[in-house]
Amino acid sequence: MTSTAFLEITEVTKTFGGVVAVNGCSMRIREGTVVGLIGPNGAGKSSVIDLVSGFERPDSGSVRFDGVEVVGKRPDVISRMGLIRTFQTPREWRDLSVIDNVRVGKSDLGRETLWRSLTSARRLRRLEQDDDEEIGALMVKYRLDEIRNHRASGLSGGQKRLLEFARIAAAKPRLTILDEPMGGVNPVLGERIGQAIRDLRTAGSTVVVVEHNLPFIEQTCDEVVVMDLGSVIAQGRFDELRDNKRVVDAYLGNDDE
Amino acid sequence: MLQYWTAILTEASIFAVLALGIDMIWGWAGDFDLSAYAYFALGVYMTIVLTVGKPKSPVEYVLGWHLPYLLAVAIAVVVVVFFASLIGAVALRSLREVYFSITTLGAVWAIYYLVENYTPLFNGYNGVSGLFDPMGGGLSYEAYHYFFLAFCALVLFLVYLVVQRLSKSPFGRMVRAVRDDEKAASVYGRNVFWTKYRTYLFGAGLAGLAGGLFAAYIGAFNPLDWKPTEIFVLYAAILVGGRGNPKGVVLGSFIVYIGFVEMTRYIPSPATRPELGSALRQILIGVLIIAMLRFRPSGIIPERLGTDGSEPRRSWRHFFTRPIETDPSPGPSYEPDDVDVVDDPVQGATT
Repeated sequence: MTSTAFLEITEVTKTFGGVVAVNGCSMRIREGTVVGLIGPNGAGKSSVIDLVSGFERPDSGSVRFDGVEVVGKRPDVISRMGLIRTFQTPREWRDLSVIDNVRVGKSDLGRETLWRSLTSARRLRRLEQDDDEEIGALMVKYRLDEIRNHRASGLSGGQKRLLEFARIAAAKPRLTILDEPMGGVNPVLGERIGQAIRDLRTAGSTVVVVEHNLPFIEQTCDEVVVMDLGSVIAQGRFDELRDNKRVVDAYLGNDDE
Repeated sequence: MLQYWTAILTEASIFAVLALGIDMIWGWAGDFDLSAYAYFALGVYMTIVLTVGKPKSPVEYVLGWHLPYLLAVAIAVVVVVFFASLIGAVALRSLREVYFSITTLGAVWAIYYLVENYTPLFNGYNGVSGLFDPMGGGLSYEAYHYFFLAFCALVLFLVYLVVQRLSKSPFGRMVRAVRDDEKAASVYGRNVFWTKYRTYLFGAGLAGLAGGLFAAYIGAFNPLDWKPTEIFVLYAAILVGGRGNPKGVVLGSFIVYIGFVEMTRYIPSPATRPELGSALRQILIGVLIIAMLRFRPSGIIPERLGTDGSEPRRSWRHFFTRPIETDPSPGPSYEPDDVDVVDDPVQGATT
């Protein structure tokens, strides 16, 4: 969109008991792009996600999301600013039905007050029904329609991935951070996940994808950020980085894990 | 005999209100709280000391305001919620699962020994007394007990309606989402602590309300009348009826209370072993908990799946035909068969 950064990470450092997980890491992500975040195991990719989404607090540095400093904010506060992230394993709400998982993703928090739940049950039900069409379309789109009333814990790994994307689509985030969305996923489903990511962008979300599957990154992402040993070593288009020596070294030479 | 049944049903109704409160904390929010019996007891004590007059030496207790019964119950509930807000603020902030349970267990024993040993509060181990037939107003002894049973049943019914409404509401759904995965819930903007805290206070308030009813039923209360461990009878009731389902919890309370607690009273105890009956009752409750966990962990009426009402209604016969859940784990996390794609709806949806 513009050249101003939508997500701006500046000189962020985080140590866990002497181990430097993130070391002076800086990156700028423009609004409306799909950015791949790659690097060998232990490069600090997941740690950076935890720092951005508020699950960990950096020792130093700043993280600005749409111009607002988010360091020190709780994860739910950052989420309400429009950031949704995933984890390496799908985290469905296991004892809710599939459709309720998506409804919680969608739900307007103002409907969940104790007082409104007690006093205006009928109006809340009508508001919920207003969502039926949208939720139903998501169910069909992510092939969850036939299992919409199943317990989410009973889904297969692939279905849980799709449920995750349906939930994100319902939440309409402005920034989505996906931590290894292709983990344990077969190629056919992988194609669908790639499409889901493009759809997220169409719906107006900036997307950051952490992934080891490089062909997938090449297909899906506009831009790639490469991390190694806790900091960013390169950022640019995928084909530009293919010949970058540091990137190749990081993947082949230093990948001792 | 009729009077006996009136008494049992009254007690069962009161304990069902308490169980509904505990189920909100454990069944919905997933916090295995062990201090709820203290909230119940505090409700009893507060209701009594608020309705009776000033203490006469050597009896001592606080307040003695001589308030009307219903007002006293309302104040007792407020006091209970206040205490729960202190304990909950500590226990729920960052402690979960067994750490939460141990903290609440510590709290309940602290309250128990404080009440027993600090006489100026509620007269120590002699307890407080003097609340008789507070809403009697000219009724005969028998008529009053029928009236009070009706009153307790009405309160239970109203509490049930409120709890059921909450359970089906977006609030109830969110509390369960937080229970199932806190991290995911906070990713979707839910304040985990505040969600659990509100549920905790609501449940504690119901425990206080049950205490207010029990105060009028029993009239006098001392530390021999309650033990923090009695909460396990209520957990048994919730397990039997169906954790997380208000209908199941009410049913379970009546089954456990009438079926076990009362029926074992008929077991004759030899004169040399007068404690046999109550010991046997505890054993039976333990066996019941184990049997339910083995054969029917989700209870007689399991938690409703889905709040959008699209789930088909099931008849009571479902209870007999429903397959037993033995393995709650989802199985292998990856099954390639689920994506046998011919035409791809995701692809088709945007192009």
